[in-house]
Amino acid sequence: MSARGYDHAAVHYGGDQELLAVAVPFLEGGLAAGEPTLVSMEPERAELVRDALPPSARVEYLSTSDLYARPAAAIKSYRELLAGFVAGGAAGIRIFGEIPSAAIDTSWDWWARYESAVNHAYGEFPLRSMCAYDTRTTPRHVLDDVARTHPFVATAGGHHTNTGYVDPLSFLTDPRPMTRLPIEGTAPRAELADPRPSDARRAVLATAPVDLPAAEVDDLVLAVSEIVDNALRHGRPPVRVRIWAGAGQMVVSVHDAGPGPADPFAGLLPADRVVGGRGLWIAHQICSEVTLHRDETGFTARLAAGRPW
Amino acid sequence: MPTEQERGPRSAARDHVCRGYRRRGGFVAHAQEFLAEGLAAGERVLYVAPGDETALAGQLRADERCDEGLARGAVQVASVDATYATGDVVDPAGQVERYAAATSEALAAGFTGLRVAADATSLVRTAAQVDAFARYENLVDHYMAAHPMSAMCGYDVGELGGEVVAELACMHPRAVEGGTPFHLHGHARDGSAAALDGDLDLDSRRLWPLALERAGLRSEGSTIVIDATGLAFADHRSLVALATYAEQHAVTVVLRTRLATPARLVELLDLTSVRVERAA
Repeated sequence: MSARGYDHAAVHYGGDQELLAVAVPFLEGGLAAGEPTLVSMEPERAELVRDALPPSARVEYLSTSDLYARPAAAIKSYRELLAGFVAGGAAGIRIFGEIPSAAIDTSWDWWARYESAVNHAYGEFPLRSMCAYDTRTTPRHVLDDVARTHPFVATAGGHHTNTGYVDPLSFLTDPRPMTRLPIEGTAPRAELADPRPSDARRAVLATAPVDLPAAEVDDLVLAVSEIVDNALRHGRPPVRVRIWAGAGQMVVSVHDAGPGPADPFAGLLPADRVVGGRGLWIAHQICSEVTLHRDETGFTARLAAGRPW
Repeated sequence: MPTEQERGPRSAARDHVCRGYRRRGGFVAHAQEFLAEGLAAGERVLYVAPGDETALAGQLRADERCDEGLARGAVQVASVDATYATGDVVDPAGQVERYAAATSEALAAGFTGLRVAADATSLVRTAAQVDAFARYENLVDHYMAAHPMSAMCGYDVGELGGEVVAELACMHPRAVEGGTPFHLHGHARDGSAAALDGDLDLDSRRLWPLALERAGLRSEGSTIVIDATGLAFADHRSLVALATYAEQHAVTVVLRTRLATPARLVELLDLTSVRVERAA
């Protein structure tokens, strides 16, 4: 058990009892040590844990709908929360969490990157966290990523080093598959070659579906502008923008012929202000999904608004 | 462009347009039209351009309205070469004082105001001249916003280059072929220190911090309010540049905008020196 630094463990469970057999001792251990002890699971599972703990247990339950809306936002919120605990004198912090199944099913790409990036992003905090995955419902490719992103595995029998763990610098720079969204099977509403950011913004506004709330369109316009700006300045021409629009959704892909951002954490963690831009991070904060993809043709950032799943 | 067109004497006022041109003849034609509008509104008009005064008067005579104005003494011409020595760097405040005095004289002589068409190309040939003239353009715009003076400023894009003309154009409330994506100017509503219109993005990356420095933004207490009702877009780097400006001047900048995203960006990036307020 590490005294300081981030201890990030995966938990695989196939039923309630298996889940509780790991969660309850972990949380009770935190409470006994006087550590801030938190649970962030969807309401039904959180209730299961709550019922298994003594009524007096001072566990804090976080709302997953806020926390797990977007991974970059989760990192920002968690980092602020953890910094607050440390400032308050905490020598250890425990979190038992589970990424909502809807997020796993619809937008695993950025959650996989999250699971890897947090090994770095929370590295400075005296945090022990466990991430639960239900083996009955979690797809195989997700479990494969889980195995590569958690340095430890926790079971009822104990806490083990995970030999399959891959350093975030490697995991985040390895090519990742980009699953096509359904609307990408249709003809794009607009295709732009080497647009200025203002051209791309106008095209998004011109093709926005009427049933997509204006605030979400505004956010997508901002994200697209930032990503086109990145492609023009850091990428390699030609820059190609494609826009799909349908009922309650928009998807925009921005492709350039360059290798993509050198920073493996780009998007999930903000770049230092003096170093430069935070366009990709902003896109990760305001889009309903951002997928990054590298292949032999270059780098693609795919931005979504609404529900493209 | 100003759409507030009150009848009579006020109609021509509150207009300060930058016109980039590639053909000198094209600028002269627009100047004739601009000045003729002023004459129709009862203003004294002044034409400032290179060349001797006889030649300048000759350029205007081609337009019969201007010709008639010359005949009755409502049109004045001034040679830019005769007024300024080559390489002179304009004194912004002094130049505004001269135009303020000329506006007062026009009013005292019974005119409704002063309207100027000036080809200022020869005054912005060096970097120091451009810097001073951009500051002057901003200062005189504040004067025009509050007084019955209007102006069309012509710049030769072919000679000066688009980037130089954009530095000047962005300090006007309106530009024709000025190549500027935004305008930081003095025609603010509600007593703000400046008004901001247009787009702030990659295409204004170099221009925007320059314009901020040159706009001489007036603070009240330690706050500068910008009327950004006409702002159509601002990306994160533009807001970081605004925050940097605010920090360097030890002020808080209040951005009054109809846009929703600037407030999100300011919060996400923790730009504590910028406050975003929703404009009505």
